[in-house]
Amino acid sequence: MNAPVTPVERIRGGDRRALARAITAVENATQEGAAIRAALAPYLGRAQVTGVTGPPGAGKSTLVNALVKELVARGRKVAVIAVDPSSPVSGGAVLGDRVRMAEMQGHEAVFIRSLAARGHLGGLSRTAAQVVELLDGAGFDDVLVETVGAGQSEVEIAKVAAHRLVVCPPGLGDDVQAIKAGILEIADAFVVNKADLPDATRTERELRAMLALRQNAAPEALPPVLKTVATTGDGVAALADWLAARALQHGRPAPAVPHTAPPASGPAALLARLIARDAYARHLGLELVEAGEGTATVSMRVRPEHINFWDSCHGGAIFSLADTALGLACNSYGSVAALIDSHMTFSVAVKAGERLTARAEEISRSRKLGVYRMEVRRDDGVLVASLTGTVYRTGKPLPNEASTGPAA
Amino acid sequence: MAERRPPKVIVTKIGFDGHDRGSRVVAAYLRDAGMEVVYTPPWQEIGAVVKLATEEDADVIGVSSLATDHLLVPKLMDALRAAGLEDVQVIVGGIVPPKDERLLLEAGVARVFHPGVALGEIAEAVRMLTRDRRSLLEGTL
Repeated sequence: MNAPVTPVERIRGGDRRALARAITAVENATQEGAAIRAALAPYLGRAQVTGVTGPPGAGKSTLVNALVKELVARGRKVAVIAVDPSSPVSGGAVLGDRVRMAEMQGHEAVFIRSLAARGHLGGLSRTAAQVVELLDGAGFDDVLVETVGAGQSEVEIAKVAAHRLVVCPPGLGDDVQAIKAGILEIADAFVVNKADLPDATRTERELRAMLALRQNAAPEALPPVLKTVATTGDGVAALADWLAARALQHGRPAPAVPHTAPPASGPAALLARLIARDAYARHLGLELVEAGEGTATVSMRVRPEHINFWDSCHGGAIFSLADTALGLACNSYGSVAALIDSHMTFSVAVKAGERLTARAEEISRSRKLGVYRMEVRRDDGVLVASLTGTVYRTGKPLPNEASTGPAA
Repeated sequence: MAERRPPKVIVTKIGFDGHDRGSRVVAAYLRDAGMEVVYTPPWQEIGAVVKLATEEDADVIGVSSLATDHLLVPKLMDALRAAGLEDVQVIVGGIVPPKDERLLLEAGVARVFHPGVALGEIAEAVRMLTRDRRSLLEGTL
């Protein structure tokens, strides 16, 4: 038998029970847990870690459920850590957050683990950061961390998550409440959830007014205020778009200084905006990995709906991936360029569940024409397909990008 | 010395019966007894309970039954074994006629509790079964 033997091999191979038991070992600070953490170290740093915090009843769990649904629809594997308070009297806890994630907890791309805070203050459990590492090392694309209902001092999430959402329900209190220190200061974005309630607009206005009082911050660096209705999913796609754009700018590790929104200028920001507006890219679950002038890298996890009649990824899906990388690369100068000719060679077949990454590089560029080369590879580096493409450069500015610099 | 976590217990109901007062009372008692309780609403599917037990690394699953849903528990036991979770201890509480109790115990259920049982007795059983499971798993990670 060649079954994987070490815990790390089993965890990396997708064994959920091995992962769950490793989390227990880490929670209990055992030597086994420490050994597994050490062995997973080479695999860390891939997952996007997003913290979701806010007062009790803000709708954090329901928002996490809605966000998980959106991320899974984009082809991502998602892990959730839900931290609940332990009783200071008995030490016991009812771990109920995942009850509100019932819709997604049965999905095979989703792993949810409840953690009891066990008397630890700060909004998380003592070992939550280590559990995040395990889930990152296990290969999840996203790790969402939901804190206990947080007030003004439970800010530990700032050290654990690269992207921090503070959920503010409407009608919590007067505007003085919003000026107070604490969780409001660690937000990378505010989410006014339950935005269908009458007070939502007022809450949004008060948050914006509070942010405007911040010293030493350029307007574009202020955290955005997004509105969602988690129970219906309204606004959740926009939240996921914002996260994807931010992830591109601030992958990991968690930046030491919070309050940095994605920059509004430069080719990387431009391409992040373009792919976020691209309905077809969203449909296929494409993600921008890297971007610069004349180059773009886009990845995709092969999903069941990409599979053709002989159980391999459809060539059209692979072309779509490469074509999206090309489209972003050739439009990175801010003017419209369109593909007029392309040739593609396929090297190997691809199965469902594998991640493909397409990188587009510019070979030449003149006033009217650009020539690009794309390579599509699997995670293990094997070349799946290679393409060349010629684009016609119209010289017209990109629609909805009036502020972008002059066309080169 | 490593910190030992409290028992982690899933309190759930499978099947179509929605009478969840009993499971709520037991969940609250086990919490107050210092345990970490994952409580689910009624109407859980067996596959969902298995996934829950896997991800939470539960020591014990408590199934509450009023209206014959305990007859689904043998299927739950099969599903747990198929998922490699034979170490997870299962207890059943509620209206269970004597002949069904035998059926459940033969299917691998650790304990069956009937109406009128002292809550402290359930908590003590959960502690004992947790110890059993953990010594069974010692060094197998």
